[in-house]
Amino acid sequence: MAILETRKLGKRYGAKVGVEDVDLEIDAGTIFGFLGPNGAGKTTAIRLLLGFLRPTAGDARILGMDCWRQSHRIKRDVGYLAGDVRLYPWLTVNNALSIFSGAHGRDLRAAGLSLAERFALDPEKPVRKMSRGMRQKLGLILALAHDSKLIVLDEPTSGLDPLMQLSLADLLRERAAAGSTVFFSSHTLSEVEQLCDRVAIVRAGRIVTNEPLDDMRRRARRRVEIRFSSEAAAAAAVPPDRLEIIEREGDRWHAELSGEAGDLTSWLAGRPVRDFTIGPPDLETIFHAFYRRRRHTA
Amino acid sequence: MRGVLRKILHETLLGMVLFSLALLLVEVLLNLVLPQILDQMDEMIARMPFMREFVAALLGIDIEGEITAQLMQAFVWVHPTVLTLLWANEVMFCTRFPAGEIDRGTIDVLLALPLSRRRIYLCETIVFLLGGMMMLGAGAIGYAIGSQSLPVESRPAWILVAMILVNLFSLYVSIGGVAFLVSSLSDRRGRAVFAIFAIIVASFLINFLAQFWAPAEPFAFLSVVEYYQPANIIRNGTLPTRDIGVLLGVGSIAWIAGREIVARRSVCTT
Repeated sequence: MAILETRKLGKRYGAKVGVEDVDLEIDAGTIFGFLGPNGAGKTTAIRLLLGFLRPTAGDARILGMDCWRQSHRIKRDVGYLAGDVRLYPWLTVNNALSIFSGAHGRDLRAAGLSLAERFALDPEKPVRKMSRGMRQKLGLILALAHDSKLIVLDEPTSGLDPLMQLSLADLLRERAAAGSTVFFSSHTLSEVEQLCDRVAIVRAGRIVTNEPLDDMRRRARRRVEIRFSSEAAAAAAVPPDRLEIIEREGDRWHAELSGEAGDLTSWLAGRPVRDFTIGPPDLETIFHAFYRRRRHTA
Repeated sequence: MRGVLRKILHETLLGMVLFSLALLLVEVLLNLVLPQILDQMDEMIARMPFMREFVAALLGIDIEGEITAQLMQAFVWVHPTVLTLLWANEVMFCTRFPAGEIDRGTIDVLLALPLSRRRIYLCETIVFLLGGMMMLGAGAIGYAIGSQSLPVESRPAWILVAMILVNLFSLYVSIGGVAFLVSSLSDRRGRAVFAIFAIIVASFLINFLAQFWAPAEPFAFLSVVEYYQPANIIRNGTLPTRDIGVLLGVGSIAWIAGREIVARRSVCTT
């Protein structure tokens, strides 16, 4: 069952497009990556989902409820971290949990303090004395403390050190395994690649692709380096269909492979090859291809 | 709602207590200096007849030679310091949500809670009204302390003071309602504060000018201060229900309009 669904969702600011024709369907338990560069419309889409912005076209539903009209009901089951998290200067983990407990009508202190311990955040330290990373951690604690069915995180790793990024990734995997759905926006492909099951790429306010990461990996090219036994062998060899030579350098080929690596190893077996390396699927090339297209269309 | 109420109290209680203490102190001081003003009033009016007009404009009534000591007690409830303290507190308070929250970007935290915007608006209003009661209560205590220095016959009956407080509270509600409305239309707190101060100053000015300048008279009804006249309460001994009705009506209509705007508007923090 889809936990989050949008149909032709759009938001315009006069003549300017925030997002347009956004169609999404995200199933429970998925970690969904929402990828795009700054200004692509990720935050606008998220603010529409949370009912902060009123759509100018289409609609969005979370758990079957309308994101604009039933926004406050939805938030019982949604944890949210804003992209540029701004908190009250006097807020500490302890008093934030007390306020959130009051608003949610249940005690969130134990869950929140356990997250604070996991993120190594002093529960008594006020926001005005916190670094950016600490504020981000407090924002995450508030988004995750109430065990929500949907967790919406807008660029959650910004300001976190690499260890904390790993810790957050583990936590999100645990939550997804327990049945929560994670909607994760980022402009960094590697983050999404590590964590997500499915990814949508947003460009100039429109979704340009929305597919499982595995499908994308299958389509992604791999960097290949082949070292032949001699320069003559390298010059004489004819590459197979799905191997595109990028550069010939003496006895070496630098190339890109589309499709499975197995076919290439069979081809290599019958050639005078001294050594070869086949890299992992490089999603970066796909990602960049979408943006190259944007520049062309622009 | 408890969580949001707690958050609002955490942010505003100290300010409201300080404003209340300031009002208490001002009421004590005004009562202490009032006998001296009264002593000199007749002499001043004899020397400068236009002073009568100024006093009348300040008190909001035509005094026609009947400036009694009791009537002058209205002075401590219309003094610009008293009104400025009260209005400054409400302007600061009512522009917190949504203008202030949007301005500093913290509204995302608030709107992520499972509460409707109307409920958050209501929470702000509840604390705002309690804060007004606290301030007026402090003013009344200050008045009670300060007026001990006056002869008993100069002090209006407490029932009259209570009526003045009801009238002043309805003025507080009307300004607050308008301030909430302005805040609901704004993304910048500074702009909202400026707009509300401009409305208050214009309102005050219309009321004041209408006493001296005939062309301003037809517009006097537009001023909220027109509906707050403690001197009339002391003189007539009756609760000005019409004035209170107008003030509460203006405040309620503006408040409801503000609430609906908050509930229906898009919230952008960038």
